[in-house]
Amino acid sequence: MQDVDEMERTIYIRLYHRIQVQPNQEIRVKDVACIIADDPLLSQIDHLFIHKVKKEDRNMIVIDGMRIIKAITERVHDVDIQMIGPQQTIVEVVYTKKKLSIPLFILVWTLLFVGSALTIMNFHEDVSMQIVHQKLFKVITGIWDEKPLLFQIPYSIGLGLGMILFFNHLFKKRINEEPSPLEVEMFNYQHSIDQYIIFHENKESSLKKIDDH
Amino acid sequence: MTIKVVILLLVSFAGGLAVGAGYVAFLTVLGIIPRLMQLTKTYNLIQWYEWATILGAFIGCWLSLYEPTLKWSMLFMIPIGSFYGVFVGMLAAALTEVLNVFPILAKRIGMERKLLILIMAIVLGKITGSLFHWIYFVDL
Repeated sequence: MQDVDEMERTIYIRLYHRIQVQPNQEIRVKDVACIIADDPLLSQIDHLFIHKVKKEDRNMIVIDGMRIIKAITERVHDVDIQMIGPQQTIVEVVYTKKKLSIPLFILVWTLLFVGSALTIMNFHEDVSMQIVHQKLFKVITGIWDEKPLLFQIPYSIGLGLGMILFFNHLFKKRINEEPSPLEVEMFNYQHSIDQYIIFHENKESSLKKIDDH
Repeated sequence: MTIKVVILLLVSFAGGLAVGAGYVAFLTVLGIIPRLMQLTKTYNLIQWYEWATILGAFIGCWLSLYEPTLKWSMLFMIPIGSFYGVFVGMLAAALTEVLNVFPILAKRIGMERKLLILIMAIVLGKITGSLFHWIYFVDL
C-alpha cells in the first residue's frame, strides 16, 4: 500500500525545448513543461507561477529545470520529481510578428543573383574553362570551334540543375522524405544558437556565478 | 640514365598520388557522392561510384595529356555538357553549403520561409552568369 502511495506522488516533467510567449505574459508551469502526475496533484502544479516576462528580459529567457522543481516543492511536499528530456526551456518573447519587407527581400535576392553570376564567371576565367571546352570539343568531335556553344549551353543549364539537385528541392517529396542538407544545416545552426543561449542566458548556470565575482 | 628514369618515375608517381589523394579528399569533404546515394537510395552501390570517379579521373588524364581525336558526332557534346554542368553545379552548391551561407543569411534577415526563392536567386544567377560568359563575354 505504501508503495502504491509513493508511486502516485511521482511527477514526471518534460520541459519543452523552445516556446514563444507574449510580452508581459505570466509563464506558468504548464507553459514550459509537459507533466504527468495524478489529477489532483496535476491541477495543483499546472498553474504554478514561474516567471513574468519583463522588459529587461528582452527577447530571450532561459527557464532552468531547477526553477520548476523549486516552484513545485514549495507548493507540494513529499513528491518524487523525475525530469525527463531537456534541462531547460528557451523562452522566446515575440514582440511583434516580424513582417517581411519586400524591398529588403528584393535587395537580398538581387545581391545573391548578381553575386553568383559574377562568381561563376570568375571561376570560369580562373580555371581557363574556355580553353578546356575548346580542347575537349576538338578531342571528342575532331572539329575546332572557337565557341563550342553546343557543349557550353547544356553545361550552363546543368549547372543550375546540379545545385537544385544538391539542395533537393525539386524531388523533395518524390524521391525520399529525408531532409535536404540545407534543412539539416539550418537545424544545426539553430541548435548551436540555442546551446549558446542556454549557456549564457541561464541564471542558474554556474558559469555566471564565477563570472560575476 | 637508369637512375634518372627511376627518379623521374618516382617523382611523377608521387605527384600523381598527392593530386589523386587531394581530389578524393575534396570530393569527400563536399559530400557529393553521399548526397547522390541519398537521393537515389543506392547506398549499397558505393564501390561502383568510387570506381566511376577513379575511372573518370583516369580517362580525363588520358584525354588531357594525349589529346587524341575521337571524331564523334557533335550531338555527344550535349549529354556530356549536361553531366559536366550538373557535377560543377553540385560542387558549387556543396561549397555554398559548407560555408554556411544560407542559414546565417536567412536567420539574419528573418527569411527562413523564403529560403527556396533565395536559392533560386543563386541558381538562376549561376545559369545567367554562365550563359552570359560563354555567349557574350568570351568575345570581348
